[in-house]
Amino acid sequence: MPDAKPPAPPDPVTLAVLDARLRAIVEEMGEAMLRTSYSQILNSSRDFSIALCDSRCRLVAQADHIPVHVGAMPWAARAVAEDFAGQVRPGDTFLLNDPYHGGSHLPDLTIVLPVFGEGALRFWSVVRAHHTDVGGATHGGYNPGATEIWQEGIRIPPIRLGEGGGLREDLLRMLVTNTRLARDVRGDLMAMIGAARLGEARLAPLLARHGAEAMEAAVSAILDLSEAHARRIVAAWPDGEWTGEAFLDDDGFGRTDIAIRARVTKRGDGLRVDLSDSDPQATGFVNSSYANMRSAVAMAFAFLLDPEVSKNDGAFRPLEVIAREGTIVWAREGAPVTMCTSHCSNEIVEAIIRAMQHCCPERAMGGWGRRFRVAITGRDARRPGRSFVWHMFHARPGGGGSSGGDGWSTAGEWHSAGGLKFGSVEMAEARFPLHFERHEFLPGSAGDGQHRGGLGGELVLRVESDGPCRANTAGDGARHGAAGILGGRDGAPHHYVLRHADGTERVLRTKEVGIAVAPGDRLHVRAGGGGGWGPPERRDPALRERDAREGYV
Amino acid sequence: MPASDGRGAERRGELNRMRSDAYRIGVDVGGTFTDVVGIAADGTETLAKAPSTPADQSEGVIAGLGNLAEALGLTLAELLRRTERIVHGTTVATNALLERRGAKAAMLTTEGHRDVIEMREGLKPERYDLRLPAPEPLVPRSLRLPVRERLRADGGVETPLDAASLDTAIARLREAGAEAVAICFLHSWRDPSHEQAAAEAVARALPGAYVTCSAEVLPQIKEFERFSTTAVNAYVGPAVSRYLARLKGRLEEAGYRGTLFVILSHGGVAPVEEAARLAVGTALSGPAGGVAAAVALARQGLGGDLVTFDMGGTSTDIALVAGGEAALGRGRSVGGERIALESLDIVTLGAGGGSIAHLGPGGTLQVGPRSAGAVPGPACYGQGGTEPTVTDANLVLGYLDPANFLGGRKRLDAAAAERAVAGLAARLGLAPEACAAGIHRLVNARMADGVRVATVRRGVDPRGFALLGFGGAAGLHATAVARELGLRRAVVPLFAAGLSAWGMLQSDLRYEVSQSVIGAGGMPEDAELRALFERLERQGRARMEGWYSGEVTALRGADMRYGEQVFEVAVPLDGIAWDGPDLAGQLRAAFHARHRALFTYDLPGEEVVLVNARVAVVGRLPQPPVAARPAAARAEPVARRRVWLEEGVAEAPVFRFEALAPDQAVQGPALVESATTTVLLRPGDAARMDGRGWLDVALG
Repeated sequence: MPDAKPPAPPDPVTLAVLDARLRAIVEEMGEAMLRTSYSQILNSSRDFSIALCDSRCRLVAQADHIPVHVGAMPWAARAVAEDFAGQVRPGDTFLLNDPYHGGSHLPDLTIVLPVFGEGALRFWSVVRAHHTDVGGATHGGYNPGATEIWQEGIRIPPIRLGEGGGLREDLLRMLVTNTRLARDVRGDLMAMIGAARLGEARLAPLLARHGAEAMEAAVSAILDLSEAHARRIVAAWPDGEWTGEAFLDDDGFGRTDIAIRARVTKRGDGLRVDLSDSDPQATGFVNSSYANMRSAVAMAFAFLLDPEVSKNDGAFRPLEVIAREGTIVWAREGAPVTMCTSHCSNEIVEAIIRAMQHCCPERAMGGWGRRFRVAITGRDARRPGRSFVWHMFHARPGGGGSSGGDGWSTAGEWHSAGGLKFGSVEMAEARFPLHFERHEFLPGSAGDGQHRGGLGGELVLRVESDGPCRANTAGDGARHGAAGILGGRDGAPHHYVLRHADGTERVLRTKEVGIAVAPGDRLHVRAGGGGGWGPPERRDPALRERDAREGYV
Repeated sequence: MPASDGRGAERRGELNRMRSDAYRIGVDVGGTFTDVVGIAADGTETLAKAPSTPADQSEGVIAGLGNLAEALGLTLAELLRRTERIVHGTTVATNALLERRGAKAAMLTTEGHRDVIEMREGLKPERYDLRLPAPEPLVPRSLRLPVRERLRADGGVETPLDAASLDTAIARLREAGAEAVAICFLHSWRDPSHEQAAAEAVARALPGAYVTCSAEVLPQIKEFERFSTTAVNAYVGPAVSRYLARLKGRLEEAGYRGTLFVILSHGGVAPVEEAARLAVGTALSGPAGGVAAAVALARQGLGGDLVTFDMGGTSTDIALVAGGEAALGRGRSVGGERIALESLDIVTLGAGGGSIAHLGPGGTLQVGPRSAGAVPGPACYGQGGTEPTVTDANLVLGYLDPANFLGGRKRLDAAAAERAVAGLAARLGLAPEACAAGIHRLVNARMADGVRVATVRRGVDPRGFALLGFGGAAGLHATAVARELGLRRAVVPLFAAGLSAWGMLQSDLRYEVSQSVIGAGGMPEDAELRALFERLERQGRARMEGWYSGEVTALRGADMRYGEQVFEVAVPLDGIAWDGPDLAGQLRAAFHARHRALFTYDLPGEEVVLVNARVAVVGRLPQPPVAARPAAARAEPVARRRVWLEEGVAEAPVFRFEALAPDQAVQGPALVESATTTVLLRPGDAARMDGRGWLDVALG
């Protein structure tokens, strides 16, 4: 890396053009990914992210897909750069998923592609996507019974999947053979590599036209401008030190109320987030990997800034992050972590926002809901001889209230923030032996406040399978609802009940495997709402009247 | 001519024999101006303009028609008496949605599912803006009234329509004074009888209300798309039908006896009655004319692969025409509301001639999305605007003639433009001309990026396409945008400023029918497939025959996907041997091929699911003849102007666009001006005037 004398930054117009161009490249890569991916989780739920990093692995531009990936991508580029120092050549394709080597959790596979200009490495084109299956003990990667990472799926440290523009077919076969859905994983991997190559193809003419050095100077200038933008915002907040905490329900192994604690110190135009006081790591999969924790902190910070701030390395420079290995937010190598992109990511964000409510109340927002997944598998009389697996994305939790107004109803969790789509009820009934008796807002589920939270959803689902089914759960938030802030109330926690046809019923826990479900049983989901913002007594009476008229309470 | 039953000449198939003194008129209502184009029997085109009148667009339309009559030396009554066809592009539905000024709409919906349109599938725009307020639903929850009834996915009745709950809901509708009612029941695409029974009961109880059923608007599976489209129809229906009735009345009063057509979002036209019934289908009526024009020009020899680039004051519309056909899609939202009808795949960028250049919050130069609009307009309009716009930058750079804007009807204030640009330039540490060049360059780069994203989304590499620039502002940017994209050809019609209105006259009648077919199996048997498409085609033809008796063709298509995929792919089914063997196999093969073309791969051996069958019924309307441009003497430059280009300052010759002789070549740098358009040719651009009326630019 020639670090001697940085070339002069380009003129402001070229800078603006390059800034727009780099953002358009990641957007175009995202479009390509969306259109070519094979599995539903990618082409419908958009659980993928695209980033360009420079040769120093600094995040330059990222497509807005899933917020929880926002700060995580450079760690992947960094892991490749370190492991292959001095051996990276044009045409190489790198892959990783290991949360202890540049990844966030095992289902997220990341393709990292070097981009060369004038004979030297200039950029990394990075594509991360959530895969439908990565092996391990349970279908789909979420294994609440895992006590070590090897039970969660195949670990891939940074590997060179191919060179000279080609791919190692034997390696590829080894990888997909270790998953239950080899064809999906292969199809999605191809889509990822295609998107990453598109990034390379679009950067090449830019490098040729402007020259590698001038591009580098432009990138540095773009990052500096974003840094200045973020610092200007932070500088307007009062100095001080605040603490906030949020709780995980449990780790699935009997340990409850696991605390994530944030101490946030704001001085001048910088912010220090110290998570060291968080509880020790857990037995089950709610631990966070280091990169995921860094990403969750970056996500919380991004939520507090103006949405127009470019999400790049510069914007996150005002942020200093301190954490301790061995805690729930940074587990030691070997611990299971699959749940971490939702839990404990959500709790990390919430602890930070709760600390910041006193610092920048106009920017802080009430808590967004928690993720509580259910998957049901069984047989369908209409398709004899085939089993079905249905993943619940319906009855989503509510978003938090804020200075902007009441929270968004059924828009989901902190980590997706309205980015995950639930499927059509008609389509689900046509494809699965399920009958949706009710799928509506759950009145009263939101935390009250000057601006209340959004409503959670309610689902009454009748199972019409051919013979018994089994269900698994994975998630959190049945004990702790989304936090209210500044005097706003917490949203209701999740409450899922399985009602058997014989009239008996039981409350579902958030981390169960092998739940017996019989035809005629009903799953009654009452999803939590978002947290309120500001004291309820300050709520505009006209809004109260509207809530009553519209049946929101 | 017989009475104004909205059918007129077309009905009796007399269109091909256009009277020698007859006119056809296209009317495009834009944000600032209403453009009116008249085409005479010999193909002569005349453009007139009038200020748009947002409160009642029909006033501007009548004024525009009056101006056209004047330009032709006729009275309005004379012109209208001689007019055989008026095609109208309206923004009434669009504006009602954007400004949230639609009807008081209610919804009757399946009990237990009344929040479908407000849940929005769990999606929220602006991923990092958690303080963004949630939108108000078009139909508030208190007016989404549950009715006890339920169908199953296979069309079987789980719960019969409950008369008592229907009565309760209707009583509530009456009490609330609902002006429009959307009837949205689950699985109604399978069997519309519950919806129909409810609609009849509502129509009896509220005789004046606009009543619309989801199974009629969009008989397709996926309740959010169907309900949302139907809710939009209810929301805009009363305004659109009132407006069209008013316009029709005014035209008849003024002496018009022909048919009034409306151009719809899919680019086809329909008589006013049909447009009022499916008002949501007019949501993209405005920009549809430009795409129709591109298709027509492609047919006239321009070439079949075009990127349309319609640059106006506040926004720019981009669409693709490939192989002479405009791309259609169903992923459209207007004003944040999902409309799942087949519509032209138009991408709108929030930047145009009026876009304001400013220093963004991050400290970089930015253009748009804020626009100076019509009021105050760019600084150079001298109406009080002080912020620099793209138009101001173009004036500072010498690209525009201050004395020749809108044919000299508006004089531009160059000093005001310079002041506005200089202010921003000082903050950037640049000379005013350098800043203006930067604004120009940045807006070009943004346009090019918009085209790239629009084309990759459709699996198309634009480099083999020509850029077709039109709308008031495109001529100054077209060749730079094309070059930025690596295109080798840009085209600007002489008629660029009125091209949308012109395009409306080139469209065919079109009616879309579709039906979801999803069942337990992925693909129906051959006999069932044949019967299904035949039934849809019969349905479409029957409806078309209600108002047209000319030649009708039917285009078949299908939405298909692989087993576990969620997105369907629209597959055109031309080339299928419908009576041949293995029809299902042919459809599968067509899908594999389409998937490969779009996404670079296919999965032979994987289950293929047919989700929707669709038929577009098209009634060909005779196209106006093309007036041949008379041979003329080579035009000489009328002036020279100092222009600032990236390559430096140049003395560019200025040509009159309409004076250019057929095949006359013009080398850049040069300016080619008409009353409504200026084309900037840069160094290396080699233009040729095409005898059919467009400037064809090869990019060096």
